[in-house]
Amino acid sequence: MSKQIIMKKVILKILIIIIALIVIFPLCVLLSTALKSDREIASGFVSLTPEKLLWENIPKAMGMGDWPRYFFNSALITVITVVCSLLINSSAGFAFARLPFKGKNVLFYCAMIGMMLPMQIIMLPVFLQIKEFPLLGGNNILGQGGIGLINNYWGIILPLIAHPFGVFMSRQYYMNFPKELDEAAKLDGCSALSIYVRVYLPLSKSLFATLGLLKTVDTWNQYTWPLLVTNTKEMQTVQLALNAFKGENTVQWNYLMAATIVIILPVLVLFIFLQKYFVQGIVSTGMKD
Amino acid sequence: MKGKVKIAPYCFIAPFFIIFTYFYFVPVFKVIMDSFTDYDMFTKRNFVGLKNYIDLVKDETFILSIGNTFFYTACMLFPALVIGLLLACLIGSSLVKTRYTRMAIFMPHVFSMVAISMIWLYLYEPNNGVLNQILKTMHLRGSKWLRDPEIALFCLAVMGIWKSVGYYMVVFLSGLKGISLQYYEAAKIDGAGPVNTFFHITLPLLKPTTTFLLITGIISSFNVFEQVNIMTGGGPLNRTTTMVHQIYTAGFAEYKLGYASAMSVILLLIVIGISILNFGLTNKE
Repeated sequence: MSKQIIMKKVILKILIIIIALIVIFPLCVLLSTALKSDREIASGFVSLTPEKLLWENIPKAMGMGDWPRYFFNSALITVITVVCSLLINSSAGFAFARLPFKGKNVLFYCAMIGMMLPMQIIMLPVFLQIKEFPLLGGNNILGQGGIGLINNYWGIILPLIAHPFGVFMSRQYYMNFPKELDEAAKLDGCSALSIYVRVYLPLSKSLFATLGLLKTVDTWNQYTWPLLVTNTKEMQTVQLALNAFKGENTVQWNYLMAATIVIILPVLVLFIFLQKYFVQGIVSTGMKD
Repeated sequence: MKGKVKIAPYCFIAPFFIIFTYFYFVPVFKVIMDSFTDYDMFTKRNFVGLKNYIDLVKDETFILSIGNTFFYTACMLFPALVIGLLLACLIGSSLVKTRYTRMAIFMPHVFSMVAISMIWLYLYEPNNGVLNQILKTMHLRGSKWLRDPEIALFCLAVMGIWKSVGYYMVVFLSGLKGISLQYYEAAKIDGAGPVNTFFHITLPLLKPTTTFLLITGIISSFNVFEQVNIMTGGGPLNRTTTMVHQIYTAGFAEYKLGYASAMSVILLLIVIGISILNFGLTNKE
């Protein structure tokens, strides 16, 4: 009996490891290719292990193009988007969970419909909304005459901030708080704002960790919005720059892979250290974007 | 005092709703309005009635892109769901420790589509790319992969499966955790084998998870765009062009915004149809 179980365990283990190896194989190709010499690349893919680990490929690849600038762009956009979206969505979630007001249900369902609506469908009109943003980028009050938020960080950030799922998650989270919490605060004469700021925000750490993590990765990985909204090299994010890197000259696979590694590195680090929150977030939101 | 209480809640939701209205609701109306015009971003909009929609029906590339989108969804989503579920069952059986393998399988999900595309471009490289070299050592003939019109879309689907399978596994695992062990014990007492248990207990009890993944999966694979734009540009012979890629091309390369809006409306109708179907099916129970 116990022999049978051991056999079962061994077979299961081997099977799972084989599957994991298949999944991980492309990532191994990524790493090994990035460290190969030009000569090895030219002779085609022969083995997973480079003759010599050429770590200098990574700084070399970063030297081809203005990568510090692209990283700055991506980091700035990500930080602003995450902070703004956490504040905006959690305050809306707080109101939906705790404050009585007219039209609450209707407004909430309106927001939730937006959750089902993929951004790709409305990419044309959203682009126009960005271009015709009133009073900015040379536009008049009707949004005519200029370029609006095209080639502007806010043009990328604004469409990403309002996130119905963030509202939904925050509402669920705050609804689990005991009601006595804000009743006590109310007796002390606190306004809704001070209840939110003094009581709810300090207790939102795990909500913000999960939501913030998902939003960080989502924003960092954005390709479509920056592609539509920017048209100069200075405004490119890392994802756009990586795609452009592929297009320049003939493809030098080792440098392309080296650049790819650098770009996924922030996400990889977050993933390795915060894996638990990642999985928690994915499971509880069920949706990534 | 009373007036103050009334206004406060709206102040909390205002920042969200102003941005949400500006970037979600107004665009939905705008795209429907624009689909009846010949807008080209530079000249004034002229009302053209149903002309865009009539042109769409005659547009062979667009019809092809609808077919491609359906094909991609079928080839990517269903295998990914099945593999994800099987993996979840294998890994969830808790006989062995799987922390690191789980992590490895889930990892591709968190990387950007651009990065993933770069890796797979090298795997699929027709001259001396990874897959062809491996086939060569096994004395098999290589393929042109993404440049072969017959299999290019399928290649994209395989990459999609690879990227999403870990996500489906993780969601299924959480679904499995929600199933009470009593069911399994009862099945064991009744002498049900693992296959029987799977089909009569696991699968029916996982239905909410499966429906959820199916609906969100259909909607997201109907909107496949990034990998198409990065890896194939819709080619070869338009065999990998998808609906969103057509919208992008018509709108941002040819500046036929009115026409592209009509395409968007078609896609919007399909997504609404799927959502209604979903609500209909889930409300029945």
